[in-house]
Amino acid sequence: MNPLELTLGIMTAVGGFVDISELVFAAKAGSMFGYALIWVFVVATIGIMVFGEMSGRVAAVAKQPVFNLMRHRLGLKLGLVTLLASLIANLITCAAEIGGVAFVLNYLTGAPYMLMAIASTAVLMASMWILPFKWIERTYGLLGLFMIVFLVALVAIKPPWHQLAGGFVPHIPHGLSTKELLIFAYYMVAIVSAVMFPYEAYFYSSGGIEEKWAPKDLPMNRITCTVGFGLGSLLSISILASSTQLFMPANVGPELLGSSALEAAIPFGTTGLLLALAGMLFAISGAAIETCMANAYSLCQFFGWEWGRQRKPWQAPRFTVAWIGFFLLALAIILTGIDPMNLVEYAVLFSILVLPLTYLPLLLLAGDPSYMGQYANGPVGKTFGWLYFTIITVAAIGALPLYVITSGGQG
Amino acid sequence: MSPDDPIKLVSQVLDLPLLDVGGNYCGIVDDIELTGSAGKETRLAALLVGPGAYEGRLPAWAMWLVRKLAGDRITRVPIGQVASINSAVKLKVSADSLGLHKSENAVRAVIPHVGAM
Amino acid sequence: MQRLLLIAAVLVAGCSKGPEADLQYISKARSLGAEWALVNEQSSAGKLTENYTQSMREAVREQLKTASSSLTQPNSDYAGEIGALLAEPDDATPAQLRAHADKLKRIEDSLESA
Repeated sequence: MNPLELTLGIMTAVGGFVDISELVFAAKAGSMFGYALIWVFVVATIGIMVFGEMSGRVAAVAKQPVFNLMRHRLGLKLGLVTLLASLIANLITCAAEIGGVAFVLNYLTGAPYMLMAIASTAVLMASMWILPFKWIERTYGLLGLFMIVFLVALVAIKPPWHQLAGGFVPHIPHGLSTKELLIFAYYMVAIVSAVMFPYEAYFYSSGGIEEKWAPKDLPMNRITCTVGFGLGSLLSISILASSTQLFMPANVGPELLGSSALEAAIPFGTTGLLLALAGMLFAISGAAIETCMANAYSLCQFFGWEWGRQRKPWQAPRFTVAWIGFFLLALAIILTGIDPMNLVEYAVLFSILVLPLTYLPLLLLAGDPSYMGQYANGPVGKTFGWLYFTIITVAAIGALPLYVITSGGQG
Repeated sequence: MSPDDPIKLVSQVLDLPLLDVGGNYCGIVDDIELTGSAGKETRLAALLVGPGAYEGRLPAWAMWLVRKLAGDRITRVPIGQVASINSAVKLKVSADSLGLHKSENAVRAVIPHVGAM
Repeated sequence: MQRLLLIAAVLVAGCSKGPEADLQYISKARSLGAEWALVNEQSSAGKLTENYTQSMREAVREQLKTASSSLTQPNSDYAGEIGALLAEPDDATPAQLRAHADKLKRIEDSLESA
């Protein structure tokens, strides 16, 4: 195991952990419910660790990406339904991320939002075309490490650590009205969805094949998933906790994406503000690329087309057309003028509905000795895998009713 | 598993990806062609690749949509061209020689061959 | 049973008009007013860039206008309060802005407990 590779892998996972949905929901969760939802972030993070490790293991051992194996397991009809559903979910997510990038560029430069949406899409597409896979992943992941300013800011504002620690213990707060309980439940579902977004497993496993992982890379895979995602989730939790300290007493929702940057501006002034905005810019940009690539991967793998950014764009022509097409579609959604914050709600909703369909084949495959040999899920893997499958299925069933009853968490 | 081994279930082969001799993806096993009849041994004759092979696997309205979007081409890969079958079907020859890369090559022609590292 | 509950929930959510339906916009406007106040407060303390301050103020206004135009009761007291908030100048004092936000919070709380 190369220590430099491992460190870079962990840092990439940390910097790439937060996307616009986690940012928005962390800030809102902190303001509305104090520290009470921290444990949900922890539970969801363990979930993505479990499924991330599994998808990396399947890539390294079976050497086939999730979507190929998924179609083989589910068959054509159910496979097509899953494909379509996940394409839609990821497309909405990609559009939300592009909207987020446009907002951040607007906050940084004052340039008009729509213009920034077009410009950022162009830059993202250019970097996809020019850079090889590893550079794309590393650049946006490492630059996303500016998000660490949120963790430092939390320490600087001196929150009540004892109370904060209490948030790590699973509990439902006392004294909530029925309405508030329903909104709390909605937030639980939304956080699980945002942390365990389906695009992450597709991107991670396809990336593993792009980088030609083999069984010798399994320890690195395991460490990257646990340490990387674990540290990354601390960034989301910092945003939540700062929101509790700063936004809750000030009656701030927040409604605007840019308000989160105030969490770093209040303790550190303009330096903090700019670091926070830079972190948000690269973390959200990275997510835009990952959601788009995940869709291109899924489509090509499902139909057996050449795929991968390891090859030059003209060596995998339909893959290239696919990711260009998805970027343009996502941009088109933004250009309709729809509020990206609404897109975040839809993304989270669609994604949780798709999640059980996406994870089931992965879980079955990772536990199948005929594909995985000695690397199939052991008792721990099976227990956690099925536990989390149950959790996401329950969340998926409750998502739509909760969304409707609570008007998307607004009450 | 080699193509001559008995196949317990059609599901072992169906929907597996195809890789040609150069390791390039060239489709998915969309359907299979069997030889033999009642009372005789059933053997795998060929793999069928292409949207046309979805016929019978999708409801009629879905098949109509598929035809509109992707046509109904079927490419037949005789079993003799298959080297091995496990988590993917590996072929003995190149995709082009079997006519499996037609769409890929068509799209390749419109993509600029510049600028990538 | 789940389907029945879902249908009932949808009907309840869709059929409600008046202050109950406007609750989400009152809540949104309250938050926007508070965010505006926070931005102005931090800006006066020299902690924000000019671009950020300006962009945030524009975003607040745009969102407030959307919320205002979505109200089902445009002649209510909370509609008036949101209008008054919109009428404030960009660089209004945090205290002024918070006064509006606090009023909206009180209306919000009274509607929620109703």
